[in-house]
Amino acid sequence: MTSSRLATIFTVLSIAHGVNAQPASHEGEAVFSPVTWNRLVNAADEPHNWLMYNGTLDSQRFSRLDQINIDTVGDLELKWAHHIPQLDRAETTPLVVDGIMFITESPSNVVAVDAVTGRPFWRYNHPLPDDLRVCCGRNNRGVAILGETLYMSTLDAHLVAIDGRSGSLVWNREVADHRSGYSKTAAPLIVKDRVVTGIAGGEYGIRGFLDAYDADTGEREWRTHTIPGPDHPDNRTWAGDSWRTGGSPTWLTGSYDPELNLVYWGTGNPGPDWNGDVRMGDNLYADSVLALDGDTGAMSWYFQFTPHDEHDWDAIQVPVLADIELDGEARKAMLWANRNGFYYTLDRETGEFLLGKPFAKQTWAEGLDSNGRPIRRPDTSPSREGTLVAPIAGGGTNWWSPAYSPRTGLLYVNSFDGEAVFFSREQDYNEGSTFTGGGTETPLPIDHYQSAIRAIEPTTGDIQWEFPITARTRAGVLATAGDLVFSASVEGYFYALDATTGEPLWHIALGGPVHAQPMSYAVNGQQFVTMTIGNTVYTFGLN
Amino acid sequence: MHWKRSTRWMAILLPVLFVAPTVAVTTSAQESENLYTSRLDLRMGRSVFRAQCTTCHGLNAGGGNEGVGPDLTTGRFRRADSDLGLYRIIRDGVPGTSMTGVGTDASEQSVWQLVTYLRSLNDFSSAADLPGSAEAGQRIFVGKGDCAQCHMVNGQGGRLGPNLSLLGEQRDPETIQAALLDPNADVDPRWWTMRATGPNGQSFEGVRMNEDTFTFRIMDAEENLRAFSKYGDWSYERVQTSTMPSYADNLTVDEREDLVAYLYSLRSKP
Repeated sequence: MTSSRLATIFTVLSIAHGVNAQPASHEGEAVFSPVTWNRLVNAADEPHNWLMYNGTLDSQRFSRLDQINIDTVGDLELKWAHHIPQLDRAETTPLVVDGIMFITESPSNVVAVDAVTGRPFWRYNHPLPDDLRVCCGRNNRGVAILGETLYMSTLDAHLVAIDGRSGSLVWNREVADHRSGYSKTAAPLIVKDRVVTGIAGGEYGIRGFLDAYDADTGEREWRTHTIPGPDHPDNRTWAGDSWRTGGSPTWLTGSYDPELNLVYWGTGNPGPDWNGDVRMGDNLYADSVLALDGDTGAMSWYFQFTPHDEHDWDAIQVPVLADIELDGEARKAMLWANRNGFYYTLDRETGEFLLGKPFAKQTWAEGLDSNGRPIRRPDTSPSREGTLVAPIAGGGTNWWSPAYSPRTGLLYVNSFDGEAVFFSREQDYNEGSTFTGGGTETPLPIDHYQSAIRAIEPTTGDIQWEFPITARTRAGVLATAGDLVFSASVEGYFYALDATTGEPLWHIALGGPVHAQPMSYAVNGQQFVTMTIGNTVYTFGLN
Repeated sequence: MHWKRSTRWMAILLPVLFVAPTVAVTTSAQESENLYTSRLDLRMGRSVFRAQCTTCHGLNAGGGNEGVGPDLTTGRFRRADSDLGLYRIIRDGVPGTSMTGVGTDASEQSVWQLVTYLRSLNDFSSAADLPGSAEAGQRIFVGKGDCAQCHMVNGQGGRLGPNLSLLGEQRDPETIQAALLDPNADVDPRWWTMRATGPNGQSFEGVRMNEDTFTFRIMDAEENLRAFSKYGDWSYERVQTSTMPSYADNLTVDEREDLVAYLYSLRSKP
């Protein structure tokens, strides 16, 4: 065992076993050490850092820090705030590496700050053209790190590498032509020495893909299209040439299993969103999770949640990997609360459907068959006159990160019980223009509906508890070893729940809309929890 | 033309901030005046809207599900108070926000048709040929109808119902008539009732000023403002009906028509 490994373990133990809350300080210390692939694989062993978008490669978004716990959470107080200058949706999850925090900002910028004070070291502002094609806000969700280099997606569909110490641009690669409707918003995922990254543009008739780039050079190593070409039999799940403009984007960060060497990534809606008549068939591999070889991008298996989707129910959720016991058998599982309103437990080695049931209001399916395929109800397709269906296009949940606690064995999901009237219409494809084939409307004021944090038992799909929050909340969730669940609500509350019971234990009104998810880290023995609300990144610790 | 970013900002912001003088000085008559206002133009504008704008603003412009685009049906636009201001925003977008313009590739005609469509969403006739008398309706409002007990008009009246000073710009006569007959058919959640009961049995009830995940606030019948926590010692109940009575039996048909004529006459500019 190396001395650095021993030091890491000592740090973990000192944090995990109740060091008294002292004012954190690393004044004068040299901070920020290179992040090796080995550190990323073992990120759970250094819980004082938050080394990737979802915390760890299994994307459990579970912090092993427990200084802030059900007994101490009432003593949380604001430590610092960082204001994001560009007004838009702030969807960032910051990274923390040895006391340095990296925050992405709208539209495609990143700032490095002291994680103790929030004060900046450097800033990188990415220049953007004026003719962007973005469906849903000028936003960015975070960076990835390998060595001393950060990797960031940009709205003009580029991938950039930035020096983590200075903010200098290292390389800049065009992933796709933004003028055709492509854009990039998600944090990349490091897999060994590659940067794996997806693409957005499902409302612009793109053809989706997932890419891997050499982290040093920026050269592309593999590309896997999420709609197979005409030489593949699954291409026949698209009528005619509809596959060419079929969408199936990959606009959120996936997960990775080092033992299986499989990258897991969700795919978005087929296009046009609401007119399925022009793309008859199952439309593979839209609305699916793909399991790809980490070295080649070759597909190992896929599971399609919503065949022939006509409601814009992207399977753009974070694949949560957890080892569970199901019917007395140990399973390498994948836990997935989908935008279509159903929760799924899959076998992540094979893609086998293990169980599934609704976790949010849904009216479009009788249930799932033994293979996990939905049993559709008649007359639920969008129509010229409008068809009332639950969930809404935005889903029973969306891209908002769920969290899984190995201590409680529960998956925590921000869910929404809503409904919408779905309309379809004919629309010609024009490159670079929106290509949706319809639209939606919510029939009643939002006060008639309900959001909730729901705790799902992955071996049954049952909801263990729920905590109602104001509709419609777009916040992710963090679970911690302090047996807390942190999240936020649409009106700007940041709050902590008891992870076992759902009882609210602490909250503070921060007064802005939320589109982000919490994360936690520690510096010199003091645990912090960070959440972006409105256009401000807030960090709390014990007083 | 490819403008530098700073030049482009100025080009967008100046017309929005100084609409009237800028129009007169810096734009041609063709640019500043909407020549595409026919019914066909309106239909074309609606078609363009449904192709380009519904993802953020909703199919009928009432606001997007994702909360990205605001409601465009109110007739009031935060960043533009003229047709030219709307034209510029539609074409160029709003820098620093999610609002991307349709760009200079779009024809001038199609952008103006979009303006025509947006204007049509709030185009209530100002001189409707209604059967009732607005003067008589005003007397009913403050008298037999007892409407002023709860509703304010131009600073006079109660606070327990919506301020009706601009109702004629917000609702058509048929909708106003329907609300008088069946107030519970479409109750804005702002006017639901909240009931709070304390640990010692004390209770308060009032219109729902605001409710969120952890708290709610009411105005009681005496117009006192009160705030409560959902997770303290108080229990609470939400009542989704209106506090307004139906006027189906309390007013005659003629009286209701007079009242509708009065309410529909309430505008910022007579």
